[in-house]
Order: sequence, then C-alpha cells, then structure tokens
Amino acid sequence: MSVTTRPMTTEGITPEATGQGVAASRDAVITMLDAAVTYPNGKMALSDVDVTIPRGDFVFLVGASGAGKTTFIKLLIREVQPTAGRVIVAGRDLARLRRREVPRLRRRIGIVFQDFRLLPAKTVFENVAFALEVTGAGGADIRRRVPMLLNLVGLHQHAEHLPTQLSGGEQQRVAIARALVHDPAILIADEPTGNLDPVTSWEIIQLLIQINVLGTTVLMATHNQEIVNAMRRRVLALEDGKLVRDEPEAAYEREY
Amino acid sequence: MGFLRFIGFSVVRAWQGFWRNAMMSLATTATVVLMLVLLSGLYIVITGLNSGLSFIESKVGVTAQLVGKPDQADLTPTQRDALIAYTRSLPGVKDVTYVSPEAAMERLKEVYAQRGQKLDLGNDPEHHISIYASIEIQLTEPKLGDSVATALRDRPEVVQITTKQDELDKLIGVINVVRTVGLVAIALVGLTVLFMIVNTIRIAVYSRSGEIEIMRLVGASDSFIRWPFILEGILCGLIGALVAIGLVAIVWDPIQPVMYDVFKVPTIVGARFLATLSALLLAVGLAVGAIGSWISVRSYLAT
Repeated sequence: MSVTTRPMTTEGITPEATGQGVAASRDAVITMLDAAVTYPNGKMALSDVDVTIPRGDFVFLVGASGAGKTTFIKLLIREVQPTAGRVIVAGRDLARLRRREVPRLRRRIGIVFQDFRLLPAKTVFENVAFALEVTGAGGADIRRRVPMLLNLVGLHQHAEHLPTQLSGGEQQRVAIARALVHDPAILIADEPTGNLDPVTSWEIIQLLIQINVLGTTVLMATHNQEIVNAMRRRVLALEDGKLVRDEPEAAYEREY
Repeated sequence: MGFLRFIGFSVVRAWQGFWRNAMMSLATTATVVLMLVLLSGLYIVITGLNSGLSFIESKVGVTAQLVGKPDQADLTPTQRDALIAYTRSLPGVKDVTYVSPEAAMERLKEVYAQRGQKLDLGNDPEHHISIYASIEIQLTEPKLGDSVATALRDRPEVVQITTKQDELDKLIGVINVVRTVGLVAIALVGLTVLFMIVNTIRIAVYSRSGEIEIMRLVGASDSFIRWPFILEGILCGLIGALVAIGLVAIVWDPIQPVMYDVFKVPTIVGARFLATLSALLLAVGLAVGAIGSWISVRSYLAT
C-alpha cells in the first residue's frame, strides 16, 4: 500500500506555518489547515479546524449530533468544499482538485456507514465486485480481488448470499470489504457500530484494528463511549463545528 | 481495453435499466414509433407531391392556341413555321411541338374514351365542335413561362395563351400546407416523445439512486455513472426506429399502387427511397433518444 504525499513546502506552506513537524507533515494522509465550511444558508458547520493525521493512525472522531462530524467526513471525500482554509487528503489539495479528478481521490478513501448501504438485489460477491466494476476493473481482477477481500472480512462462505440473509454485523463486514476494494490509504467509518449489538460491535472494531495494522489509516466517527474508552486511541472531539480536543490515547470525554 | 470495458458496462446497464422499468420503457418506445410512423407518412406524401410537381413541370409549360380552324386556313404553313422558329428562339424554350386541329381532336376523343364516354360532335357539320391548332412549348425552367407567354401574346397568329403556372402554384401551395401541417404535428408529437424519454430516464435515475450513491463513493467516474442512462434513452429511440422501419417495410408493397393512384406518377424510386427513409427514421429515433436522456441526466443526475 503506497501513500503518495507531496511535501508541504511544494504547496507553498512551510512546516512552521502549519505548526506541524516536518516528519509528521510528510507522512500525513489528512491535513486540514484552518479549514472552515459555511453552508449557503449561512450555517457555520466547521470553523478553524487544524488537524494532521499521519499514515497508519487510528483516530476516533467524537462529538454530539450536529457538532460537525458529518461535514468533517464530507470534506475529506470532497462532497463539500472548504469555504476557508485548506484540506489535503492523500497528497491532494482538495481546493485545487478538478471535478473530474474527484473519483480518483475517492478510490484512495474507503467509507462505511451505519446503515451499510449494500445493494439488496446483489449477492455479497456482487456487492463487492460492483465497486470494482464501476471503476473499470476487468473480470480477472474482480475474480482475484473479491474472494481475497471476503476472506479478510471472514465472509468467503457467504459470497452467494443476499444481504438480507446476513446479520447486521455480517452486512457491515461486506460494506468494509467493499470499502477496501481499491486498497485505500484511508478508511472512514461513520458510526459503523451504530446499528449493532455490543458483541457484534466489538467484532467490527477488531476487524478495523486488523485493517489498521495492515497499514490503512482508520478514521472512525462514533458515539460509542465504551469502545473509545477501551481502545485508548487518538480522539478528535468536535463541538459546534470547532475542534475542541485532539488528544492521543484518550477517552470519549475529557479526563482533566 | 478500458474503453471496451466501459462500453460493455454501459450497454449492459442500459439494457438492464430498459427492462427494469419495462412498462415505462415500452410506452416511451411506442411513442417513438408513433412519431416515426407519422414522419414516414409525411415523407412519403411530400415525396409523392414533389414527384407530381416535377412531372407537371416536365410536361408542357405554355400552350398557345393559334388562329386557323380546319375549315378556315387562316394560317399558312409558312406562317406557322415562322412562328415556331420565332418561339424556339425565345429564352427558356426547350422544345416546341405543333398540334394540328386533327391531332387535338384525337386527343380529346382519347380523353373521353378513357372516361368511358363518347365524344358527341353533333350532327350538323357546319356547327360541329371545332378545335384550334396550337403549339405546345416545353420550358427549360418553369419560371420562364411568363416571359415566353408575354412574348407570344403580341403575335397576331396567337389567339390565346395558357400556362401551367396556375396549376403549379396550386400544387406548390398544397405541398407547402401539407409540409407545414405535417411538420407542426410531428414537432408536437416529438415534444411528447422527448418528454416521455426525459421522464423515463428520470425514473430510471431515481430507481437507481442507491447504486449511483455507491458508485460515487467508490470513485466511479462521471461517464460510468451517466452513460448507461444516456444509452438507455438511445435504446428507446433505437428500438422505436427499428419497429417503425419494420412497419414501413411491411406496408411498402401494398402502398405503391395506392401512391400511383393518388399522384398519377411513379413517385417512389424503390429500394433507394426505402434506404433513405430508414436512415432518416434511425437518425431521428437515435437523436430524440439521446437528447431526451441527456436532458434528463443533466437535470436529475447532479454531480
């Protein structure tokens, strides 16, 4: 898995100006510099967000509903554009990204949701294959990669099942396999355990850790305090669109 | 290779899309057929009328009736030849034919015979119907008829001039009306067809909104997302055009004698005409499908 990052200095930003160390900048897969999003209706969804996520990190994104988590994620996949500041993802400055380059960016980012978003009429195999097919992959490539990914998420036995024949946890595993088809630099999980019971939630977290260990940066937006507290990973906390806490090995709530 | 895969993907998706909402797709295709059948009808009728027009144009342009009944030798052969020579020298004259009173009488009898009637000339040889001699002038161009007529009107040998201009003008008027009414009707049907296609593709886009969202998230390019829908619209146009061509081909043979009866001239030039008409139907079908789906994709598939 290779991550192409451009040195920050070539973008016209010195490490000093960013307030980040040189090494951290060079390895960053996500960098936000004073990023802000104001929607056309005047609502300020994010403001002054400064954050750098290095390659290989596992980061929790926490905050109440409406705090800006969804906008944060939309910003990363360029569903919205920053109205101020800069956002650099997988080496690409999103403000400079042309529209036709967006699909390439999105292949560097895998994303899963609380509601899985599987296609009900397609089998498990077809759901994963679809993501390859629609990006122009050939049959041989599909036959090679899909079983590999289903193996990784432990669903190779269910390849021919429809999503409705699977449990919630299994469906989320299919979604994770699909998110990984392009070998992304970043996996974004938006409340991936929101619809799952505690035991299944833990299974999904274990899978995400496994994927992270293999080198993929994982950003997980969650309300699940128990998981965040038990994992003790880096936590980004949003409140009213502002990044109020960026703490390593942290808990869900501020502990001081 | 990548492009072939893209084409293959788009065609398969378009085909699946067409049958996924079969009722709507088939209804739309039916309107395409209706429009193209109307277009074929107009094309055939206009072609027929145009053939009639050229047929008339190719016939006599100006007729000049001359003094001199059979029993009144007012016009000597010398005068007659001089008049013909003069007429030939006029600009726009292609050919001049002298029709003697006897020949004119034969023609009249023939016309009556064709109608199944007998020409009654009366019993009194002093008062029986008599016909003037005439010269019939073929023109190089129909519009020169007026100048030829004017030149001949002043000649003492000429009793009366008749031109075919009035008939031509009438026919041209009829053709223009038919063409205008036909085109307006087809434009209205065409708008309906366009609306149907826009709607069909809109429904297709909505019914696939889940897939479209996933395609975007996994990094499918715009062309992979859009082209299946555009091809689905083109497919409606293509199938509609093929059905319309099939219908025209079926009615082709029975329609020929009818055409001849109506227009009195061989209007249809056979296989080449059918090929031209088929190409027209195909082009219009594909175009309306492509335009309709393109509008729909632009309006309902925001990116």
